[in-house]
Amino acid sequence: MQILNDTVALALEALSGLGAQICSARAVKSCRNEFNVDGGRFSLFRTTLDSALTLQAIKDHKRGLVSGNSFDEKAVRLAAADCLASAEAGQEDTAWDMADTGGGDFAQDPYEPDMDRLFARTREMLEEIKQDYPKVIVEQLVVSHVQADSVYENSKGVRYTAKSGWYEVDIMFSGHEGDKSSSFNGSGFLADSLEKPFLELAGLRRLLADAQNQIHTTPASGTGEGAVVFTPECLGSILYELAGNYVSDAVLIDGTSQWKDKLGRQVADPSLTLRLAPGDGRIISGEKYTEEGYRSEDFALIEKGVLKQFLLSDYAARKTGHTRAPNSSFALVVEPGDLPLENIIASIEKGLLVGRYSGGAAGTNGEFSGVAKNAFMIEGGKVTHAVSETMIAGNLAGMLDQIIGISRETVGDGTSVLPWLAVRGITISGQ
Amino acid sequence: MIPKIAELLRGQFAPGAHSELRAQRSLTRRVTLLQGNLTRNARAESQGVSARVYQGGVYGFASQAELSGEAARRALKTATGNAKFLDGHARRGQGALPDISSGALATQEDFTDLPQKHYLDFLRPLDAYIAGKYPGLASRSLVAYADSMEKQLATSDGYTSHILAPRSYIYIFLNDKAQGGMPVEVFKTYGGSGTFDIQFKAPEDLYPEVDRLYEHLMKKREGVFAQAGKKTVILHGELAGMLAHEAVGHTVEADLVMGGSVAGPMLHEMVASPLVSMTDFAHSAFGQEAPLPVYVDDEGVLAEDAELIRNGRLTGYMVNRELGRHFSMRPQGNARAFGFNDEPLIRMRNTAVLPGRDKFEDMIASVEDGYYLISSNNGQADTTGEFMFGISLGYEIKNGRLGRAIFDTTISGIAFDMLKTVDRVSDRVSWSSSGFCGKKQPMPVGLGGPDLRCQVMIGGK
Repeated sequence: MQILNDTVALALEALSGLGAQICSARAVKSCRNEFNVDGGRFSLFRTTLDSALTLQAIKDHKRGLVSGNSFDEKAVRLAAADCLASAEAGQEDTAWDMADTGGGDFAQDPYEPDMDRLFARTREMLEEIKQDYPKVIVEQLVVSHVQADSVYENSKGVRYTAKSGWYEVDIMFSGHEGDKSSSFNGSGFLADSLEKPFLELAGLRRLLADAQNQIHTTPASGTGEGAVVFTPECLGSILYELAGNYVSDAVLIDGTSQWKDKLGRQVADPSLTLRLAPGDGRIISGEKYTEEGYRSEDFALIEKGVLKQFLLSDYAARKTGHTRAPNSSFALVVEPGDLPLENIIASIEKGLLVGRYSGGAAGTNGEFSGVAKNAFMIEGGKVTHAVSETMIAGNLAGMLDQIIGISRETVGDGTSVLPWLAVRGITISGQ
Repeated sequence: MIPKIAELLRGQFAPGAHSELRAQRSLTRRVTLLQGNLTRNARAESQGVSARVYQGGVYGFASQAELSGEAARRALKTATGNAKFLDGHARRGQGALPDISSGALATQEDFTDLPQKHYLDFLRPLDAYIAGKYPGLASRSLVAYADSMEKQLATSDGYTSHILAPRSYIYIFLNDKAQGGMPVEVFKTYGGSGTFDIQFKAPEDLYPEVDRLYEHLMKKREGVFAQAGKKTVILHGELAGMLAHEAVGHTVEADLVMGGSVAGPMLHEMVASPLVSMTDFAHSAFGQEAPLPVYVDDEGVLAEDAELIRNGRLTGYMVNRELGRHFSMRPQGNARAFGFNDEPLIRMRNTAVLPGRDKFEDMIASVEDGYYLISSNNGQADTTGEFMFGISLGYEIKNGRLGRAIFDTTISGIAFDMLKTVDRVSDRVSWSSSGFCGKKQPMPVGLGGPDLRCQVMIGGK
């Protein structure tokens, strides 16, 4: 930690000495130990020792941002000079500022890795998959422990330190039988201990079973409207797309957001409550402070269908006259509903259960169309068969008014906690 | 330039174990003007050394965020320890890698890291031109972007090299509103390999491009939704390149073949129309330097073209040294690492469909009812060959003539089924190189091709 303290102090002194009126420095040292499995076999043991230094300077309301990875004094002074040069080349904008309140010291275990046990858990996972899901091929598995120390300080007296560690698992797999195979599927999750076998985390057993059941597919027939149930894995990416289109910095600064006048108004079915909650106990190593130096706090983006907050940085908040988001993470926590998933599916006459969405980026109008991947047909209230070559189309915002149900079951992967969510009125196109 | 590190430590490689040592520096500059506001003004640099050691069928890898001989020694020691740990635990029992040719590639020319002011001074007049000439736009956004990789590589039994690879781009986004207030957007990317001052001489040179982009936006404002279903389309070369990369290229990367990709059982089979040939070019294509040339890869393999499809038949995979041995194929320089702390993975370089003999105008005239699809905002594909491309610019074709623009939509299909429907291939080639391919690590790649007439599923209303 001493080298981080020294580097941050040096950087702030250099930035101030060069004329920065407001400045900040963040230094991070991290170590990643990682096992890789390719084609089902161990292939690589990787150890990376990394460092990162991010400097921000504001001079005469002009801002510069530089990042590097050397803590060498000469390199830090060069980075500071480059940061000031960037700022001076910039344009005056009174919206740039940094936090003048906040601060804290944080620690999160497991700080030290247990590589022998991590290897054992990884081998156990591969063996269990082979035994319990014999049609599944593990295309790639990356299992890591990450250890990170960081120090942030700005010229307004706000200072944070953090020492944290966690395990990460990223797996990609597909089901195979003869020449037939399922689409690839996967999961990425964080863990704060090695107490549980990996296969018991983040809904992995369900995903592996689905891969076996998605080897033989048939396209949906014809084109028409139907219902779609998004799995938790798919829902996260849909909500991320939605946030980018309606509540993020860019679309509110340039005024293209269709929700720009919707703050405090109903934008979704009242059953939907969506929080960004890095402080939630189920989120592992959640964000502690924002890029501008504010202490991260949980907040509701949508509460009972009402838009409560935009996802704005401090800068964008000043540009648009709104309040900044209390954190800059995307630690999504969607409140569960009352009904079991089974009942929601039972209420659907015709539709799809979609595990992954592969689509073009929705335009600012929110119109989306893409392929329903890792998907099953729902007919007469039952999941009937896996589908391929089937597209879905709709409108991101419009979809939130058409919620049929939110499951009471949720899946947590250490970065989010999400239920299954069903909507009606989606165009489903098959062959 | 980074100091000589890797080559000097070559003598410290353990005898008999394939070893690599790489020193690398990566730079990125980005300037964003959003409605005239400077919302991003950033420079990023990362540098360090890494080592990789092969033992018994597994690799040990280690990196240090420091450019020094001492850091390289530490990385080599840790990588050797990691290889020993994993070999001891996994016990795969594979022998040494087959020999490859060795040599030294001449050090490439150094380049100037232009200051941030250079990028901003270029964008400002361009932004002012758009704001002045088209004041009615709903919004505009301009990005100047440049990155570079400098890599110094020494290997125990392959080529040593010192390469420098800068590339530079400008992205222009224009937004307006269609009837009913629905936002519509067009964008285009300009640039390629080389430093920003080589790629872009003067802002005025881009004014005609802005005007053309604006014309597309005005047509898109009056656009229509595409009709969902299977359609005859002309894919612009940019999309043919995306198809070559996403839908075919990934399925023939040998590591994904090992993971069960659809191409596994298809080697030497007909997978496309006889009009379709496809190659992953190393450094030259069609008599010119390829968009992002690769002369030697990060395993020390001298790069050469990898033929993937010839006249519709699947002829090869892209391999690294280890999987080259597995498939009895010669490594051709596809093992590439992104950051100094990344291990080499099997990656594409400049993947393209080869041109045919048809004239573009004749191809449009040949379509009675279909679409001309020009550009994409993203693309994804599956190891089954099922692909999806987001279409951000396209036009109807009615009775052999271009018609109304279409709103954003998506096309999809199964690559090896769709390629069998290709019945016309134009004689012109378009390349793009601004994107990153994602596969554990990002990687700059070039992709290109001619216009293709084929059948695809299109999403819409």
